[in-house]
Amino acid sequence: MTTAPGGSRKAKYRQLPHTADLGLRIWGATREELFENAGAALAAVLTDRRRLRLQKTEKIMVEAPDLEALLVAWLNHLLYLYDVDAFLGREYQILALTPQRLSAQARGETYDPERHVARTAVKAATYHHLEIVNLNGGWQATVILDL
Amino acid sequence: MAPQVKLRQVDEYRWEIPREGKMRTRGLIFASQKMISKIQEDQSLQQVANVATLPGIEGASLAMPDIHWGYGFPIGGVAAFNLEEGVVSPGGVGYDINCGVRLLRTNLQRPEVEPSIEELVNTLFRNIPSGLGSRRKDLKLSVPTLHEVMRYGAAWAVKNGYGDKDDLAHIEAQGQISGADPELVSDFAKDRGKDQLGTLGSGNHFVEVGYVLDLYDDDLAYKLGLFRDQITVIVHTGSRGLGHQVCDDYIKVMLKAAQKYGIELPDRQLCCAPLSSPEGKQYLAAMAAAANFAFANRQMITHWVRESCQQVLQMGPKDLGLELVYDVAHNIAKIEEHRVNGKTKKLCVHRKGATRAFPPGHPETPAAYQKTGQPVLIPGDMGRYSFVLVGTEQALTETFGSTCHGAGREMSRHAAMKVAKGRNIVRELAAQGIVVRGAGRGTIDEEISEAYKDVEEVVEVAHGAGISKKVAKLKPLGVIKG
Repeated sequence: MTTAPGGSRKAKYRQLPHTADLGLRIWGATREELFENAGAALAAVLTDRRRLRLQKTEKIMVEAPDLEALLVAWLNHLLYLYDVDAFLGREYQILALTPQRLSAQARGETYDPERHVARTAVKAATYHHLEIVNLNGGWQATVILDL
Repeated sequence: MAPQVKLRQVDEYRWEIPREGKMRTRGLIFASQKMISKIQEDQSLQQVANVATLPGIEGASLAMPDIHWGYGFPIGGVAAFNLEEGVVSPGGVGYDINCGVRLLRTNLQRPEVEPSIEELVNTLFRNIPSGLGSRRKDLKLSVPTLHEVMRYGAAWAVKNGYGDKDDLAHIEAQGQISGADPELVSDFAKDRGKDQLGTLGSGNHFVEVGYVLDLYDDDLAYKLGLFRDQITVIVHTGSRGLGHQVCDDYIKVMLKAAQKYGIELPDRQLCCAPLSSPEGKQYLAAMAAAANFAFANRQMITHWVRESCQQVLQMGPKDLGLELVYDVAHNIAKIEEHRVNGKTKKLCVHRKGATRAFPPGHPETPAAYQKTGQPVLIPGDMGRYSFVLVGTEQALTETFGSTCHGAGREMSRHAAMKVAKGRNIVRELAAQGIVVRGAGRGTIDEEISEAYKDVEEVVEVAHGAGISKKVAKLKPLGVIKG
């Protein structure tokens, strides 16, 4: 497992360079944690997550044919919330997870261009080279974002 | 790291991936010797080969000179499928359905605008919402209105006071793709679209005020209404969140459909359905709805460009002469008629990061350009230049009437940020006489010139191979970035 730069704490995610787009590699001890970290990884692409306050809670329910597709659906639902309500989550909690369905809550706030940093806009999470693997008892996902 | 794909040089500008394994046809890439080695560094050639495996593909799996690694289909890819056995794939269009470019000309010469460029850029920035998640607070569409936008496209905008009737004659498909069905667009997509009409968005989208730096063909330029030192405006944006959601929704549909119809996929992102299937038809109707939203979007932004220019330059519309030269889509699938092996056939042509380039005399080339060929607009990066070309007969016979769409990235955004670190890109551009305003500094850094291929090299290949013809080169003076 990769560790966070300068520390022994396990890294939650890492951005992978891709010429036109951006890849995310995400880790989690459990599948639930993997999905939670994926939410955080996406938010970190869009803004500086640390500046988000925990003011609002969004309940989320997503379905897909399998676990990999569920990861894409989850990330795209978070993008939908951002587009519609300008909502960005700082913390994500998976309440229930099966390979076809998840329920979760995201805590964060409405994006405010005055206070928050605009990083990179994301159009969608894609299925290209999408992968979730079991690695040394933990989980690793790779997903490519269309920017 | 990329697996080696067999490649054979055909001539100075053409490279072939021979048909092999599960490929149903060959791959054909337009590129120079210099570009091809760069292209080989990533997986875009494998993607060209992957597209060649899809059922019902006609002609070659094509790639334009700005090809780069996409997801599923390469960016710069063109693929045509027959209506009988062929397929339609949302991934072959992309998330930003009908992302495209329009060019406006003016009656003004550079010295008339240069002194006010900063004010003009600031005014454009104020009047056109841009940046991450940009939305209009003043314009929230009801569902019935949104449906009208998706049905009528640019014509809806004109009818509601955004622009002139004459604009419509200068837009690909008159700014309205037929067969659009808003009922097939999900509520999620409509939610995302309702306050995003008339917004630029982020990433590589922009509005650019520039001038004609150089002409390559005086006669063609004259017929397109272009002259040296003339002020021009380019608008580059697409269908915003609404289009992204339509693509995502239908990829889910197509993942199931591909299984249902027994289509073998080398990459899930290539998922597709037969054009003759309900899923295929539904996607085309939803895609058309999103494409029309994009045409309306660019039409409305044009209206605010006109207003901003009138306001800052204190001139009436007649004196300004801000007329539409043309508006082209570069992420779209279209049903078109083409000659294949001597027979005229209806095909579904996917252009993902590729521009239509129809020749003089083609029925779909607009009346104003019947003698010149359809204008092709190729934006470059914000620091260099953009190009105006026209379509050719060669394009029609060889690439289903298609050509390149832009510079294409050469550097990942990460690498670009690294290169930009510690530099003040806005100031650097200002020193070159280019005023840039962006919603976030990040976007500007990511979009530095060095991150892109030199669009001139891309255009040289398209021109040299004969799939379009150079008319003019435009240089930016002021840019608003998302």
